Amino acid sequence: MPMTSFWQIFSLEFKGLWRTKTLAILLIAALVWMLTADKVVSGDGTIEGAKEMYLKFSLGGVFAITLIASVFAATASIAKERAEKRLQLTMVRPVRYSIIAIAKTAAITFAGFMVLAFATAIAVLRVDTSDICYHVVSPILESPRAEAERMYRSYMEDPNTPEYIKRAKKSLVVRILTQRALDHFETIDSGETGKWKFSIPSSYGAKDIAAQIRFTNLYDMRSSVFGVFTLGDRSGSVSNITQSILSVKLSGSDESFSGEHELKFENRGSAAVMLRNRKDVHLLIPADARFYNLIRSLIQLTSILSFVVALSMFLGASLSRPVATFVAILMLLITEMSPSVIEQYPDELETKLVDRVGLYMTRLAEKVTRPLSSLNPLEALSRGECVEFSDTLEASAVNFILVPSIFALLSALALAAKKEP
Amino acid sequence: MSSVIEINAVERTFRDFWLRPTVKAVKGVSFKVEKGEVFGLLGPNGSGKSTTIKMLLGLLSPSKGGVKLFGFDPRALAARRKVGYLPELSYLHPFLTARETLLYYAGLCDLPRAEAKKRAQELLKMVGLEKEASRPVSGFSKGMARRVALAASLIGRPELLILDEPTSGLDPVSTKEVKTLIKALQKKGMTILMTSHLLADAEDVCDRVVILNHGEVAAEGEISQLGSSLEEFFLSKVGNADDFVLADFLA
Repeated sequence: MPMTSFWQIFSLEFKGLWRTKTLAILLIAALVWMLTADKVVSGDGTIEGAKEMYLKFSLGGVFAITLIASVFAATASIAKERAEKRLQLTMVRPVRYSIIAIAKTAAITFAGFMVLAFATAIAVLRVDTSDICYHVVSPILESPRAEAERMYRSYMEDPNTPEYIKRAKKSLVVRILTQRALDHFETIDSGETGKWKFSIPSSYGAKDIAAQIRFTNLYDMRSSVFGVFTLGDRSGSVSNITQSILSVKLSGSDESFSGEHELKFENRGSAAVMLRNRKDVHLLIPADARFYNLIRSLIQLTSILSFVVALSMFLGASLSRPVATFVAILMLLITEMSPSVIEQYPDELETKLVDRVGLYMTRLAEKVTRPLSSLNPLEALSRGECVEFSDTLEASAVNFILVPSIFALLSALALAAKKEP
Repeated sequence: MSSVIEINAVERTFRDFWLRPTVKAVKGVSFKVEKGEVFGLLGPNGSGKSTTIKMLLGLLSPSKGGVKLFGFDPRALAARRKVGYLPELSYLHPFLTARETLLYYAGLCDLPRAEAKKRAQELLKMVGLEKEASRPVSGFSKGMARRVALAASLIGRPELLILDEPTSGLDPVSTKEVKTLIKALQKKGMTILMTSHLLADAEDVCDRVVILNHGEVAAEGEISQLGSSLEEFFLSKVGNADDFVLADFLA
């Protein structure tokens, strides 16, 4: 029965992590960081700000440590056993090679889960987690790519468009326009009204609702915003001079509602308000307590861990231990750094061949790793946003089942091909 | 009925990173091992014994020729279910105790938990480590570790036992006990293939031997029909081999 072999190998791997003190060291490191993180990082002086910074950096730090330790453990697991010839004693037994890989992946992921769960428990004890998190609903807009395509067509038809743009490669121009579409500003002049359509899922059971504006500019603040938000028969006034994130409760009706609705903002201030439709305007609908979101966040973080461990296990099965560890760490760094590289280096810099090649490779890496890097829920959670159940379910199905199964099969092939050092 | 082991014109060539052939370790080796036999695979260092054993265990694939265990490919689960293996060095997990080591391999052989515990206890008693069962094997001497590895090779009640230098690292008393054990296992119907560089050991327990030299079969025959001592016979076949460590054989 494969389950017997699975549990034996799982238990062996876990005992190895425990008895070699690896897990204990990680637990102590997590404890120390969770108790001291708030002394190292500080918020904006408010209780909410301190909580946001604490959750983001304490759990984020523990996650980073656990991730790196898991990569080392996973790349070493098969590679080291093979180099020391212990693996052959397992491989000559009636065990499928894929079971070896999947049991080891599960054991290291479980050890990582223990560390993350320990850190989450400390966070629950240290901050108030009874406050409510919010579903964040974004306006219905065409995709940035579709907007870029539309803008491209209009540029091409415009006789005033410079020739060098008309001659440029379409993919390059569309990519630049897509980047700009993400940051497309809408200006609402004094006395004018901005409008955005939202689709509110019925599963949210929306009763209380708030409009949120974020000023995610360089300094994260605006000097003055005055006006009224209206959503159907609900409305709320805003009067602000300092905050970078404004949440305005919309009151007027106790009925729950869903489906498509239009949010209006009437600018009653003297200055124009500039908002990026895709990033700055949201509706907030109360979800459940932050505690439950922390639990879902824990599951989601563990799922990322499972993905990375499965990949590292495959690298360990295919390569020698140092090479596998180097490749895995390099891949982690690229995953972490590529989004900011793409954001910071605009296409205008692509004049030198070496820049173009570098950016092309970074874009490719970002595209491949985006599904993984976008899964990290800590930033949203620390801001009080809901970790959606559907996201957790999807991440779990993909990263706990699908990805480890695929990598286990690949590891089995690698083990069959590379059995002896 | 098919033989327990059937090796037919097997060749194994090792290649470098660019897939260029570097060493031809085994060159057209053929032999069969029948049920209930104690079969010796002998030869000097570098003769291809270890490569042949790895091909028998499915740890290496032959470049040419065929290997069958109980009529199956050695990598098939059906074949691996019937095989016990004692490697040349013990290769134990240092953080496990002797009992945990046996229970781990019992689990891999699909033994039910209760039976595994009983079997582990029996084997620990048999190899004289009953009192040391709860100690981590990292603290064991080479001889004790060897005995744990021997017990681990027997935990799944194999029909074929492959022993690579089974007496390596054992004192004379333990060596004698292992040889007695091999004969006892044979009486119970187990087939045993062993390698040894101690010809006296092979002579004491083997029914038949194959002598490999430079990757080829130099001689094959029953011990009782060699007509001279194994040592003399061996030297007559591979005596001129430069890499043959005579001192080891005469030890």
